[in-house]
Amino acid sequence: MSKLNATDVQGFVLRGYNMPHARFCFLHFQNAAAGRHLVAQLLGSITTGQLWDNGKPQSTLNIAFTFKGLTALELPLATLISFPDEFQQGMKDRASILGDIGKNSPEHWDALWRGADIHAWVAIHALTPETLEAQFAQLNAIISATGNIHLLGSQDAAALVIDGKLSTKEHFGYTDGFGNPDYLGVCRNTQPGQGKLLPDGTWAPLATGELLLGYADEAGELPVAPVPHILAANGTFMVYRKLHENVGTFRAFLDEWGARYGAGDAAAKEKLASKFIGRWQDGTPIELSPDAPDPSIVADPNRNTDFKFGNDLSGSRCPVGAHVRRVHPRDAFGFNGKLVDRRRITRRGMPYGPQVDPTTPQDPATLDSTDRGVVFMALNASLSRQFEFVQQQWISYGNDAHLGNEKDLLLGTHLPGEKFSIQGDTNPANPPLFCANLPNFVELRGGDYFFLPSITALAMIAMELVDPR
Amino acid sequence: MPNQNGRVFGLTFLCPILDDETLQISHDLQIRDYLATLPTDERSPFALAPGTHVARLVVMDDVIYVGMPAHEEHLASKYLVFETNTDADLPGYLRTLFDAIPQHIDAVWSHCTGYPGTADFDKLLAYMKACQIPTTFFFAAVNDKSVTETLLALQTQRAVAEFITTHQGMAPAQLQREFLEFYQALQSLPCPAAGGKLPRRVIKTGGHNE
Amino acid sequence: MSNINGKLYAMNAITPMKPWKTWILRVIFFLLWHIKSKQQDLINLSFIQFARWVIIPRNRFPSLSSGQKQETLTYDYLLFFSNFNGTWNQYIDAFSAVLSTGLNLIWRWSEKFPGSVPVTGFKEYIARIQFDTDYYYTAYPEATANDTKAAHIVQGALTTLATQAAAQTPEQFQAAYLQFLLAVQTHLGDTGDAPAVF
Repeated sequence: MSKLNATDVQGFVLRGYNMPHARFCFLHFQNAAAGRHLVAQLLGSITTGQLWDNGKPQSTLNIAFTFKGLTALELPLATLISFPDEFQQGMKDRASILGDIGKNSPEHWDALWRGADIHAWVAIHALTPETLEAQFAQLNAIISATGNIHLLGSQDAAALVIDGKLSTKEHFGYTDGFGNPDYLGVCRNTQPGQGKLLPDGTWAPLATGELLLGYADEAGELPVAPVPHILAANGTFMVYRKLHENVGTFRAFLDEWGARYGAGDAAAKEKLASKFIGRWQDGTPIELSPDAPDPSIVADPNRNTDFKFGNDLSGSRCPVGAHVRRVHPRDAFGFNGKLVDRRRITRRGMPYGPQVDPTTPQDPATLDSTDRGVVFMALNASLSRQFEFVQQQWISYGNDAHLGNEKDLLLGTHLPGEKFSIQGDTNPANPPLFCANLPNFVELRGGDYFFLPSITALAMIAMELVDPR
Repeated sequence: MPNQNGRVFGLTFLCPILDDETLQISHDLQIRDYLATLPTDERSPFALAPGTHVARLVVMDDVIYVGMPAHEEHLASKYLVFETNTDADLPGYLRTLFDAIPQHIDAVWSHCTGYPGTADFDKLLAYMKACQIPTTFFFAAVNDKSVTETLLALQTQRAVAEFITTHQGMAPAQLQREFLEFYQALQSLPCPAAGGKLPRRVIKTGGHNE
Repeated sequence: MSNINGKLYAMNAITPMKPWKTWILRVIFFLLWHIKSKQQDLINLSFIQFARWVIIPRNRFPSLSSGQKQETLTYDYLLFFSNFNGTWNQYIDAFSAVLSTGLNLIWRWSEKFPGSVPVTGFKEYIARIQFDTDYYYTAYPEATANDTKAAHIVQGALTTLATQAAAQTPEQFQAAYLQFLLAVQTHLGDTGDAPAVF
């Protein structure tokens, strides 16, 4: 591929900022002129993908639009209808496809997501709470000066602090943020296990077009994208999902089944927790180290994502239904991973809500009802082929993994009678276990699909220069 | 000819549909109408006649023009495509349909040219033979199991999963006793209905955790 | 009218072929049928329950009575009937990604076949040559090909355990039961409703 122009791509697309504080602001445009004016005012402040070789900035700013937002900005009809169907529909209308049913269905979402249409997502990431507030104050000033822009609400997120240090853990206790794919031209250093599997067993970056519009994808063609080409190129689609975590339910479930697993002691409980997702809570992949966590693996980028499942088809090391195996089956389906390469997504998640205080015991109901969880954000060139496919076929269903209707334990919306299979072997410390009476550990509280345009496209939108052909 | 793969038969028929310009509703549309009303679940005619794994009926009203530089051509007749995957060869399979669902055969095929009716099995067989197109290549994922065997296996799978889940950590002697009871109860269960949903929790043995 | 019943999708496709090419295709199918190893990819793909190709020579459309008009076709036709699990897009994406050589070998003799890679042109071609199913029945709508294979494995393992169980001591049974669990532990996925179509 030709060299990527990182200054034209929003930085949020090309890298996880690794900043501990974030605020996601949701805007409504009263009219197109106000929307365009706002974009024009923000344009110079948008963080691009340019490398931070001279140190991180204090804060970042990024922007993305829902389909309703692009409609409110009065893009030409020929452009609007060239966006993919699922983006035009928005996430609410895809609920049955995504398995967002029961408590997860849109009528139960937070008020923010049930009120006036959300047109734009403006994200601030910052190194400190002070710099976050400073950037937010600037944004607010621009919003007020522009007029006819409503800040409908905002969502704060922050890295959890463990033993006084910033962590990449979420509230259940798992370490997150290992599994993002490498893309050609996007990453300076590639990491084994992160891209696509080659026939010789090594790994290579995925085609750029799996992440960015305007570049060849893994099928050897340009991804489906709106016209004109220049509006789409260097842009991508984002999924935003506010996932509430029922920490009390999770702990009670782990206590109950941990007591019935292996020796039933604390070590068995810890091992069982690792079987749910495929990593020990410190992040060690159980495929590589099934008996105990190994910090040396976690610390080594050449090892912490370099594993395959082809020699573990029985699932006795990493269960067939474990989270990391579902979302990135690697070689588990054969064909050198060819059935997987076009189903990868880039995640930019962050925890939100108060950290569970380990020193004061809390009852499960209070732990559950506290507003905390993960802001799940995912980037991909095709919402339907990548995110929706993974969410429906691999999280909420199991046929590709030969698991029938079994769902992801933590992310699935469970119905009565469902179970979760943990394969084992003859080792008494690694027995098979079939968990039943599955509660819902995670609840969807809101979200939508967004288009994250390039800097060029933002300028075109701001100046009303989108020419549909 | 590969109309057979292991123990499974793949039968394909193209039955020319009557062309009667005096009719207010043409025969092909009458077939479509009738098929649209037929249940596709355990009340399906194919569920009532044993031995059908998968079957489809399709009105093929023309061939498809793929565009330049291919040339355009059309069928003189419309055809009813009957494509079925069965446990028996044509005579045996047709016999089960003939015995179980003659009214449906009549309702569909009476719109077809040369259809002899269901009064005489041999005539019907001769007609279906005349409409049969040999399969060129036939793939079957499972080719050594009958419909009944598969339905029973699916019932077993569900019951076994339930038994295992509810009998974890049980003392060996009790587990053995309950397993034998379970197995006996499973053996006495009837085969689930073809085409429908499997019943849940049909065996109540001891166990815990539910 | 629906191409879908439970977890199964019925695809019908028809493509015209110049008659001289039909013979090449027949030879290819003959070889594919007799060299079972060539079918391995189709088996490994694991979401096709049944599939078949039927060549109808231009002069072999059934003619049942003298009153029926004679067909005057110049092409032979290749009919394809597939019963697969999963979505239409998933099915074609997978075919294009891992079986493109095989697909091209089968369909390149058809008029206007664009090749199975890249996938968008291939999908457009399939959408054009596909015709819809009026009536679709499956004996096990809640099960995929994988589900039925798994169920037969469970059935076999259960029968093995049951034939030994009555004569065993509880300790022997416990050991046999563990072996049984290990034999079935990846084959117990529940059957049920299919995901929403998209």
